[in-house]
Amino acid sequence: MILEQIIEKAMRQAQSAQAILRTAEKSDVNFENDRLKSAESSQRTQIQLNVIKDGKLGTSHTTDPNDVDGVVSRALEAVEFGSPVHFELPAAQPIPRVKTYDPALLPLAKPEMIQLGQGMMEMIKSYNPEILAGAGLGKTILKEELANSAGAVYSAEHTNFHVGAGGQLVRGTDILFAGYGLSQKKRQVDTEDIAARAIEYFRLAERTASLQSGEMPVIFTPSGLIALLLSLGLGLDGKNVFLGSSPLRDKLGELIADPSFTLLDDPLIDFGPNTSAFDDEGLPRRVTPLVENGVLSNFIYDLDTAGRAGAKPTGHGSFRQLTNLVVSPGDTPYAEMLRGIKQGLLVHEYLGLGQGNPINGEFSANLALGYKIENGEIVGRVKDVMLAGNAYHALKDIAAISQEREWVSGWMSGLFPYVQVGKLSAVAK
Amino acid sequence: MQDRLVQALKVHDVEYADIRIEDDLSSWIVFQGPDLDRINSFRIVGGIVRALYKGGWGYATFNDLDDLEKRVKEACETARLVGKQQTYYAPAEPVVDIIPAHLQKDFRLIPLAEKKALAEEYNRLVLGHHARIQTSSVGYSDSFKTCWYANSEGTYIQEEKPNVFVFANATAREGDIVQNSFETDGGPEGYQTVENFHAKAEKAAARAVSLLAAPSVTGGKYTVVADPLLTGVFTHEAFGHLSESDFVYENERMQELMQLGKRFGVERLNIIDDGALPGGLGTHHYDYEGVPTRKNYLIKEGILVGRLHSRETAGKMGEQPTGNARAVNFHHPPIVRMTNTYLEPGKDTFEEMIKDIKLGVLAVNAIGGQTAMEMFTFSASYGYMIRDGQVAELVRDVVLTGNVFEILLNIDRIGDKLEWQPNGPGGCGKGDQAPLRVGLGGPYVRIQNCVIGGQQ
Repeated sequence: MILEQIIEKAMRQAQSAQAILRTAEKSDVNFENDRLKSAESSQRTQIQLNVIKDGKLGTSHTTDPNDVDGVVSRALEAVEFGSPVHFELPAAQPIPRVKTYDPALLPLAKPEMIQLGQGMMEMIKSYNPEILAGAGLGKTILKEELANSAGAVYSAEHTNFHVGAGGQLVRGTDILFAGYGLSQKKRQVDTEDIAARAIEYFRLAERTASLQSGEMPVIFTPSGLIALLLSLGLGLDGKNVFLGSSPLRDKLGELIADPSFTLLDDPLIDFGPNTSAFDDEGLPRRVTPLVENGVLSNFIYDLDTAGRAGAKPTGHGSFRQLTNLVVSPGDTPYAEMLRGIKQGLLVHEYLGLGQGNPINGEFSANLALGYKIENGEIVGRVKDVMLAGNAYHALKDIAAISQEREWVSGWMSGLFPYVQVGKLSAVAK
Repeated sequence: MQDRLVQALKVHDVEYADIRIEDDLSSWIVFQGPDLDRINSFRIVGGIVRALYKGGWGYATFNDLDDLEKRVKEACETARLVGKQQTYYAPAEPVVDIIPAHLQKDFRLIPLAEKKALAEEYNRLVLGHHARIQTSSVGYSDSFKTCWYANSEGTYIQEEKPNVFVFANATAREGDIVQNSFETDGGPEGYQTVENFHAKAEKAAARAVSLLAAPSVTGGKYTVVADPLLTGVFTHEAFGHLSESDFVYENERMQELMQLGKRFGVERLNIIDDGALPGGLGTHHYDYEGVPTRKNYLIKEGILVGRLHSRETAGKMGEQPTGNARAVNFHHPPIVRMTNTYLEPGKDTFEEMIKDIKLGVLAVNAIGGQTAMEMFTFSASYGYMIRDGQVAELVRDVVLTGNVFEILLNIDRIGDKLEWQPNGPGGCGKGDQAPLRVGLGGPYVRIQNCVIGGQQ
């Protein structure tokens, strides 16, 4: 209703208009330093309006549903000086049917979330009472509506459930943070499994190991794979391709990674962390193969960049955000991958990743959580080690991909295997 | 608004409650390459109620301001669900204060056309600088935020917080090599702070081009001279976060590690956090719990002498609140944060610092930094090798790492001039709260045995 009002008002002066309304209710519980610390209820409203007039685009946002006149007048003010548009608003199209809403999450209230959190806290404390444990659970119920002057009207409801557990262990001047968390759009999340994974990272770090600087084989855990995916994501961004800053800009159809590497973006996985049926530009979501058997197959385009580049929009929204990334599994069991390494690193978390020159592929980051592998076994945590390399070189130097995969949620979300890279440079203190 | 807040707080039935409301009108104008990429306007209105009961917090955050009493009740109910222990909350004198903005040149009165023309001018300077400039991201942003705060002890503060900045990111390319360089400027004092950015925009472009030919630094252990801007980031990452008491107040082991009186650095080392510093990026009259900000020595003559507190951490540790409870916006409760953190200048000149370095790295400015308390990294924007006491060739990909318990003891020279990072879109991140504006300052410092990542 409010969207129709906004569009109707905007259309008195604009040639086309599109508006989005998002309303969300959130509920969180948070454990810190071995105790239940806080809980939160939150209510959010978000309205976005795009108007097109004389071939130019203006945008405004508000959080105030009573500010219809304000949001319209600010968009109309902006459009006078707006950026030239290279697209038309999409008309109504069939949108895919995907599961983003789990009614089982609705009755989940704070007392039950507190109980689930306490269970995870107890698991961590019973593994090692010296760990200062923490945990967090949050559920969100989101409603999203989109309408435009070309006749598209979509709406969707999403539920989201986030569960995380971890802690901090201080021994002398040795400070260790470890944890594991997962976001999904459904109620069914195994909290015991999440605590068990967090504990596993502590277990592997019970001992510290010293490392000699040098070149060595590296296994990236599913979370650790971000070091390679971060650069790749920037390189696949159609805007960076169009503006000429992507190193992949002229490599469509070329081998950019080892033939064992296949990556696709799949927004249609039921209950996936970033699953949805339509994007914020009014386009239906669909699966986009990005790298197939090492060959670069697609870039990610929003409507405007696609219009300028003569490409097709891929349904990743105006900011070209990747959704659920999926790396195909390999044929090596993880245990076998480990066994094959005489001396190397298992890399899980970083400090300072992305601060170098990620678009060029370069990374140089401290290992916040990395482990030394010796004669096929993890022998302890390494500290004060900088791992450096180039993501594009590393992708071509993939030695093995595991059969096992895990969901990772965070900076880049998806279903990732363990990936072994031939050689990378590690500098130790 | 004062009446509404006071009225709403009356329904609380817990030990302590407060409300913060914000209304923020902001705009962004961004060019990418030769074209305008976006021109956006945001109005973000909302608030947070906090309720404290038996050591447990209940929060309610919201965009809809219609029924504040309902939000207060909601927060109180939540706090009662959580609180099972004892409340620690240091006392603070109630204050009533209204702090208007002081803008020399009010950006709200500047037409959008003029702001766009300004950003366009800086963008032209970047793109036109050199044939190897591939693309750009150059923009202007302003924000005028009004905050209203009241607590159940009678404090009421109304404060206007303006901010304006410009930024220029230049991307140069030669074959497969792509290099970026970034400059920013601006400040809370008004539109005049963004009007003289021409030289900086060109500097960003020139540096991106020269980095194309610069080799990556060779990884290893070096004597490093950090320039003042990097020293600011280093001080914040390497030590500042460790002085935030929420990492310490419920952690006995950390309390042992961070015992006041312990030696952390050389005798000439002084580190300060000052939320009351005039003109600082992290300056506030009061923090987000209504506590006046002040100058806090963290390290004095190499000895740990203080730490940063919220009312809760101060209460638990039996120390004074320091005015460091801050939140990035109303979606989040305040947590212990730095304000303007700096390493106090010493006596050494730059020449004295480098003259006896046989092989070292001069690390300049910072892209960012991150810490896990003990270990930290910070990334210089670029660097130069130092060879036989002279500044030598330009190098790129300079990422430094260290361990806080060693690195401050490895500082052996402290420069004589303090400089601050300019205003820009960046800031500090902690938990899920980013970017929070902080002041980062320092002089040139020399650090022995510093690890730099890279191929060997």
